[in-house]
Amino acid sequence: MDVARGRGAAGDDDDDPPVAVVAGHGPFTTAGLGSGIVLQDPASQLVMERVGDDVAFGLENLAWGRAAMRERVPEALAGVGLRGFEDRRSTRLSGGEQQRVAIAGVLAPGPGLLVLDEPTAHLDPAGAEAVFRVLRTIREREAATIVLVEHRVALAWPLADTVLALDDEGRPIDVGAPADVLKRSATKLASAGIWLPDDRPGTAAAPVPSPDPLSTQVLGTEPVLDVAQVRFGYVATAPVLRAVDLTLMPGERVALVGRNGSGKTTLLRLALGLLEPLAGEIRLGGRDPRRLPAVQLARLAGFVPQEPELGFLGQSVREEIELGLPQEQLTHAHDLAERLRLPLADFGDRSPYRLSGGEQRRLSLVTGLARRPLLLALDEPTFGQDRRGHEALVGALAELVGEGSAMLAATHDDRFVREAADRRVELADGWVLADEPVELWKAAS
Amino acid sequence: MTAATFLAPDLDITQRESVLGRTSPLVKLGISLAWLIGLGLTLDVRPPLILTVIVLSAGLELGRIPPGMLARRVAPLMVAAAGIALTNLLFSTHNPDPAAHEIVRIGPLRITEEAVAAAVGLAARVAAIVSVAAVFVLTTDATRLMDSLVQQARVSPRFAYGLLAAYQAVPRLADDLAALRGARRLRGLRELDPSILLGLLVRAIRHADQLSIAMDARGFGAGRRSIYRPIAWTSLDLVVGASALVILVSALVLSR
Repeated sequence: MDVARGRGAAGDDDDDPPVAVVAGHGPFTTAGLGSGIVLQDPASQLVMERVGDDVAFGLENLAWGRAAMRERVPEALAGVGLRGFEDRRSTRLSGGEQQRVAIAGVLAPGPGLLVLDEPTAHLDPAGAEAVFRVLRTIREREAATIVLVEHRVALAWPLADTVLALDDEGRPIDVGAPADVLKRSATKLASAGIWLPDDRPGTAAAPVPSPDPLSTQVLGTEPVLDVAQVRFGYVATAPVLRAVDLTLMPGERVALVGRNGSGKTTLLRLALGLLEPLAGEIRLGGRDPRRLPAVQLARLAGFVPQEPELGFLGQSVREEIELGLPQEQLTHAHDLAERLRLPLADFGDRSPYRLSGGEQRRLSLVTGLARRPLLLALDEPTFGQDRRGHEALVGALAELVGEGSAMLAATHDDRFVREAADRRVELADGWVLADEPVELWKAAS
Repeated sequence: MTAATFLAPDLDITQRESVLGRTSPLVKLGISLAWLIGLGLTLDVRPPLILTVIVLSAGLELGRIPPGMLARRVAPLMVAAAGIALTNLLFSTHNPDPAAHEIVRIGPLRITEEAVAAAVGLAARVAAIVSVAAVFVLTTDATRLMDSLVQQARVSPRFAYGLLAAYQAVPRLADDLAALRGARRLRGLRELDPSILLGLLVRAIRHADQLSIAMDARGFGAGRRSIYRPIAWTSLDLVVGASALVILVSALVLSR
């Protein structure tokens, strides 16, 4: 690919991005050749304990002089908006900060090429915006050519001089200036499931079935989940949740939003009985989820974790889907797999661990939803999904909720909130900051 | 989180800048080893007790370790030491020996002078080991330890910094195990099952893989490296090392 120095390019594809295509050779040996790569998971790419040492790590490897390093490290940190962070522990930073440290470390030696593989995938909107602010600065200063693989097209497209769109098999659909690509191939991109920058809920290829708003009243009067005055902290002195109240009725679709570290995942885990509250009460289907026998708990709640691999228990996709599932639910599970583009005929014998990121995510959705549980607990369900995955998910959720389940989904994805939820609960510093109908929030924003 | 802070505590700047904090980690490692070997030379109870007292006060005075932090670190291990001693006291092979001097007999249980001596000696030695290790950990920054190994002991940077990075991933693995157990429960299965090891292994390999990709991507191991945090031998290292040896020898001589 021919990209002039100081220009940006955004790649967009379905699943695992073939980054190597961009440089023409593996990116992993190219640091000395003037390029650097930033990966998805912020925590796994920080090598040293302290921020300053981590930024210096790449410079040491290139045998920079000490005086030059002492000068460059603070400069690089200032460049990503982290002035004075040298002595902080990298494990204690937020995801957005960690990702910016990673960028500072990669940029410190002044590479000509900066490759970023979905750098904001794990970040909340504020963290993602901070990363993109840094990318925009790099671009304005023409400090490096940027090759960016990204699903968040609303942020990525305006940054790009060249867009390369890839299909499922990694073949290019189109390449060129963003406006040209959009003009030439908008339909082709949309049918390949690629998000477009001006996608609105209404422009989705298939209309999303929405449950009848009146049906909520007839689905049941017993709450699915009742969280009352719950307090929790991993360390007693630092509460993650302070006094949280939350009740979910059958047929309700609740989006749980808030910044990284605001306690969303913790609340999900409490609701599922995987953690014990320090104070307060939790009732799942009228029972304490911690006291429920595993078999009953599995019938009441389905969980889709943020990292799909942390939910995988089987050695093949078929085993993964059918594990512990009663005979009469097998057909439904297979149908669901089909709908989420994981037909068992093709995928049944493959190892869950060898699937691409997007496929893994869909598999964990199948296992979480297959039992038609009363409570659907989802942690960042749309992360890394293209448009087709997103629509299939929203459809499957609407159907289950229509049958009387309740959905509780922790998410950073405003699009998902708009399309798949009817109530929006915002957490901040362990408190419920807002609990409002999505319609109201839409009108306000 | 707790595992992380226990293994690699956040050292305050006062601890890092204290006399023991500024001493080369390699010297402290050498002292620890010398003391452990020295303790193996005697069965007497006094040397380990003397060394325990000295190392704990050195930790507080020269290492500027907050007393509460030191107590929290040492106390559980001291309790374990006492437990080991008690077990040895009750089940010592001296007890049934008719030649041994009986102190007390409770029913079938006979406790002899020899058993008490052995148990107390053991407890004192465990206490000394625990204290030395605690003071080492609470005055030694992990990064500085690796820097010192690389620069002063010519350990391969690949090994040392790889170890340091892997060490930071340990708490993640504990979180992964908890998550996998939860996943089993939520699918109606027993929480603990040997098959969980597969998932854990995959995660461990993933972490290691990503880490090595991240390190290689930044040119690690490609050739000559420069040093961002230089560590030099100082006269402090000599003073601390020599004093520690003198203390060890005196403690051993004293017990004769």
